[in-house]
Amino acid sequence: MARARYRGGNYRRRSAGSRVILYATVTAVALWLIAPFAWLFVTSISYQKNLLARPFTPVPPEVTLDNYRMILGLVRFHAEGQAGKILTSMWNSLVVAVIVTAVNIVVGTTAGYAYARFRFPLKTLSLFALLFTRMLPTIVLIPAFFLVFRALGLQNTLTGLVIAYASFTLPFTVWIMKAYFETIPGDLDKSALVDGCNRFQAYCRVVLPVSGPGLVAGGAFTFMLCWNEFVVAQILNTKPGTTTLPPVIAGMNGQINIDYSVIAASGFLGALPAVLLVLLFQKYMVQGLTAGSVKG
Amino acid sequence: MKTRRALSESAVAWLFAGPALLAIGLVVVFPLLYSLWLSFTDVNLLRATGPAIELFDLRIPLFRWIGARNYTQVLGDPLYWDSLWRTLYFVGAFVIEAAVIGLAMALVLNERFPGRPLMRSLLLVPWSLSRIVVGLLWIGILDFEFGALNGLLLRAHLIDGAIAFFKDGWSALNVLVSVYMWNQAPFATLLFLAGMQSISEDLYAAAEVDGAGYWRRLWYVTLPALRPIVFLVLVLATVNGFLMLDLIYVLTMGGPGYDTTTVSWHGFKTSFTFFKFGPGTAILYTLTALCLLLTVVYHALVLGRFEPEG
Repeated sequence: MARARYRGGNYRRRSAGSRVILYATVTAVALWLIAPFAWLFVTSISYQKNLLARPFTPVPPEVTLDNYRMILGLVRFHAEGQAGKILTSMWNSLVVAVIVTAVNIVVGTTAGYAYARFRFPLKTLSLFALLFTRMLPTIVLIPAFFLVFRALGLQNTLTGLVIAYASFTLPFTVWIMKAYFETIPGDLDKSALVDGCNRFQAYCRVVLPVSGPGLVAGGAFTFMLCWNEFVVAQILNTKPGTTTLPPVIAGMNGQINIDYSVIAASGFLGALPAVLLVLLFQKYMVQGLTAGSVKG
Repeated sequence: MKTRRALSESAVAWLFAGPALLAIGLVVVFPLLYSLWLSFTDVNLLRATGPAIELFDLRIPLFRWIGARNYTQVLGDPLYWDSLWRTLYFVGAFVIEAAVIGLAMALVLNERFPGRPLMRSLLLVPWSLSRIVVGLLWIGILDFEFGALNGLLLRAHLIDGAIAFFKDGWSALNVLVSVYMWNQAPFATLLFLAGMQSISEDLYAAAEVDGAGYWRRLWYVTLPALRPIVFLVLVLATVNGFLMLDLIYVLTMGGPGYDTTTVSWHGFKTSFTFFKFGPGTAILYTLTALCLLLTVVYHALVLGRFEPEG
């Protein structure tokens, strides 16, 4: 990229003094962003007794993988009942997040396309409704889900979670994809139509293939929301083995007899997939999210 | 020909948008209306009989209509008003912190320095964490016994005894604000950065010619150009502030006493700890009404300023 294109009033050579200030603030921001998460990792490979030791040592005197062994069920320990749910719940989280993401990509993307390209009756009204469902407190829906799922026998099932999660992720996906499709020139579809495609073919064969970044942004964001969701899973799936990772970690946190270092290990392990996914696709996500300016 | 085409276009549009709108209708609009109904009824979860919507084998109970009694009961409870004032403080403090820190980080990341792409990636780390993990890792830093911050301050002899951040209600509430800000400010930064990149370089060059230093350029060029984004950040942060729940669950459980009980936590507890769905949904609906109001504002902002063609 051409260096001259960088923006922000910093195109002139910097003085030594302002350079020091810049690097100091950059370091401060970097520490602020990453040090807390890095410390979670450090605690997860430490013994609790060293965390409690005073004077405090930022570099752990001993390093251990015991905390990870405990939560993965490789060694026996007094609280293995609670900690042993980690792997099952991670699997549940994965299943729910993948299915919801797939549904979102298929259904949400086509709807986003409709909003970006067509004029149709009730468009403005349904768009406003969509916006409102995005801003809605999800929690207000949960009593209804609770009663309806009880009647349908969907409590404590992953199907129930998939349905509930689709409710609050779909409006986001539609919105992100609408914003993305608006950045693709409409002439592209028009020329496909002229070449004899129908609307659906133009969408599948011409528009979708150039929509990779938007799809990645919408998909990764949906996956992240589902993977991290806590409140809905905590309320709807209370039976052991049926819930996702965040309620299990929160549950361990509430236990007095589990060391913080063990909980930190499960927290770090649980955070890793979403963090890696976001870092991997950050370029596209930043584009998609800022274009759709979503609720974070 | 022309009319046929216009007709078929809206039909095609509905085919494209239909599945998503149908799904959203079923899983959002219906539960939303049903919850609204529940807020006007006397919900007894143990009773199996009574009026109900019956569809095939499905039986969705409707319970007994009691008018606005849930609302009068909820609004007559000083706990509701206390938590509303607390929520307003929480939201105000959170919005200011998130906007100020978000803007400050954006100003730093908008400068040119080696490693800037890496820094922009790091920006997403706090934001991509589950709030449960966010709470958890801040316990590791703030805990009275093993917290790293207490450890560092003690070691540097800046304090004589460890600070109990969560023992005092006022301190616990402010810790919640700051931790939530740590998680959410990066998103504001992303929006600010996107806005800064669309400011014309010529404006800065002109300001420079006029002899404007860094702060004057910030005040007279950057900030005015960012005004729509500032509004956007404020509205989104306000909604997020009103709805925050999961951090309270890991960090304070609404305590000590009721000192960190916000309206959403009050509604959550009433609904799902005490299983009083009637008053619970009434509390949550007062929040929903606020969010509807904010949506109108957001709608005017986003559609009015950014997408005049949308």
